[in-house]
Amino acid sequence: MRFSFTDDQRLFAEGLRDLLSNECPASHVRETWDDGTGHSPGLWRKLGEMGVLSILVPEEHGGMGASPVDSVLLFQELGRAAVPGPVLEHMSVVAPTLAAIRPGVVDGSWIGTLALESESLVPHASASHGVLTGEELVEDFAVADRHGIDGGRRLAAIAGGRRTAVDVDVERARLSITLATSAYLVGLGERMIDIAAEYARQREQFGKPIGSFQAVKHLMSDALLKVEFAKAPTYRAAWSLASGSATADRDVSMAKALASEAAYRASRGSMQVLGGIGYTWEADLQLFMKKSWALMRAHGDAVHHRRRVGASVLGS
Amino acid sequence: MLVDLNETPHQSAFRREAREWLEANVPAHPLPSFDTAEGFALHREWEKKLYAGRWSAVSWPVEFGGRGADYIEWLIFEEEYYRAGAPGRVNQNGIFLLGPTIMEVGTPEQKARFLPTMASSEIVWAQAWSEPNAGSDLAGIRSKATRDGDDWILNGQKIWASRAVWADWCFGIFRTDPEAERHRGLTFILCPLDLPGITVRPIAQLDGDTGFAEIFFDDVRVPTANTLGEENKGWSVAMATAGFERGVSLRSPARFTEAANRLVHLWRSHGDKSDTALADAVTDAWMMAEGYRLHTYQTVTGMLEGRPIGAESSLNKIFWSEMDVRIHEIALQILGPEAELMEGSEHERWVDGFLFSLSGPIYAGTNEIQRNIIADRVLQLPKGM
Repeated sequence: MRFSFTDDQRLFAEGLRDLLSNECPASHVRETWDDGTGHSPGLWRKLGEMGVLSILVPEEHGGMGASPVDSVLLFQELGRAAVPGPVLEHMSVVAPTLAAIRPGVVDGSWIGTLALESESLVPHASASHGVLTGEELVEDFAVADRHGIDGGRRLAAIAGGRRTAVDVDVERARLSITLATSAYLVGLGERMIDIAAEYARQREQFGKPIGSFQAVKHLMSDALLKVEFAKAPTYRAAWSLASGSATADRDVSMAKALASEAAYRASRGSMQVLGGIGYTWEADLQLFMKKSWALMRAHGDAVHHRRRVGASVLGS
Repeated sequence: MLVDLNETPHQSAFRREAREWLEANVPAHPLPSFDTAEGFALHREWEKKLYAGRWSAVSWPVEFGGRGADYIEWLIFEEEYYRAGAPGRVNQNGIFLLGPTIMEVGTPEQKARFLPTMASSEIVWAQAWSEPNAGSDLAGIRSKATRDGDDWILNGQKIWASRAVWADWCFGIFRTDPEAERHRGLTFILCPLDLPGITVRPIAQLDGDTGFAEIFFDDVRVPTANTLGEENKGWSVAMATAGFERGVSLRSPARFTEAANRLVHLWRSHGDKSDTALADAVTDAWMMAEGYRLHTYQTVTGMLEGRPIGAESSLNKIFWSEMDVRIHEIALQILGPEAELMEGSEHERWVDGFLFSLSGPIYAGTNEIQRNIIADRVLQLPKGM
């Protein structure tokens, strides 16, 4: 029994963090909001070059052939940076599923997103060449923007298009995207707490940094507690998926429930610490908050997933 | 596989050995509370039995009566221990708090002198830290130790000393440099509780039993050889001990996993199945216990790989103490008006457990103090209240 990551896994995640701190500062995320694309082609290309986009693609199709355990820290890092565009969908499901028929998914020159549940709320459709549903690959589709809250994850309804039947393991796909989203939410939670802690160290009221006040310390400690205790269940879910565990479904649901609640708590706590600034469009915090508010309900919210866990634990 | 949550053959064999021994030896009926005279004596006998089977301090080195088990094996032992419904650990303040501290800072003589009798519970230890005016603000300690040749002369008053009513020795913190303030000038001293000048006054706790006590020191003479760690450096010794207390050593996940599983069983037998909010609450309690177990496995793997636990132990302390209260609240909710029934009720254990759980957010440093520690050391927020 061993519950930790290898040096290689840590180093890859640290390398990604370094790349993102240079290439994806909050100002860059904001640019993708402002230009209306919710996507950064330059950053996407770099993620492709680093092998991040193809991490889960089998080696025989030119990918890294890695497991969910190898990729879970990467999704967390992508969340820390609120990386815009269809990273979750492309990496976790589309690329591994379509590598044989759309080889461009491996280096990212062909971009895919996912619509397992509905074609009327498809994230990143306008930034993607194809949309993978539970049974088809849809290309050359019509897009109608639905104006979601997160400018880095544009929601659209798709219609028409060229449709190719694809053999999709829907259950596996659902688990993969849900796990990836959980890890991304953990990263978002970490980043929001970092932003608020930084602010609490600088901002002075009553002649002192507000971070010296217990009311602020306790609020932030509670937010951190939720995020820290969402991590191990998320990593365990990755292991369960990688190892084909019989409890993979339950474990992924537990991760999504905890990560969704942790990210929401972090968003509320962090916004409160920033005070009036936290309520402004200018504050970078909103980029992370709105991403978390979108993703906490994507692929099932905390209530939905808690009930899935309950069905498994309480049943019989 | 890199994360690997499967047991090795060695770990499985260890689990089997523990399970078989416990099945053969755990008393058929629960012992009376160790906060009563009779229960204390019976729990000491149980500890001696554990020691004879070399199960009393599994993570200690063999030379001191342990098995040299690593943390993972220790967690496995704990899982089996709670699974077997084995008695509470009357010498836990010794074996899980003072023992590791002695191993870290004690002299070879102190290790040889104190550890084997601790492992066997020939000597049961009480903790003597808090004072009437030094609780959360522990650095406000005023009980003092004055040097007289090769002896300390102890004077003052300690309070909330768990097990002190029937324990044999205590480990305390005393002010040894009257000129020094706060965290400086304190010394960690080990002291028998039957010396002249010591008065132990039991305090009935919330459940009515005398689980803790006041200890009065009136010119009590102990050799300076009983000093643990350096003179006037007692604060750092105490903080090492507190780290063990808040971290994994005292509150292993097995206790909560077991309680959460009992809660699920209680819900199955007594829960209103049409109440979805109740089902959600039970599920949430199960998830907390499972999350704590996973978090602990992650922490101890890190410790095995040389990443020691630091202020993160304060996160653990808040989590397990709040979880424990929550698990019991939900159980009482399921039981309804009968939840309050104590002696003779088949569900007595839940209300007892509820009362005990309420001490968790208070002892080992209140959860408010833990939140300050997290904010200061993990989040790097500025000091100050």
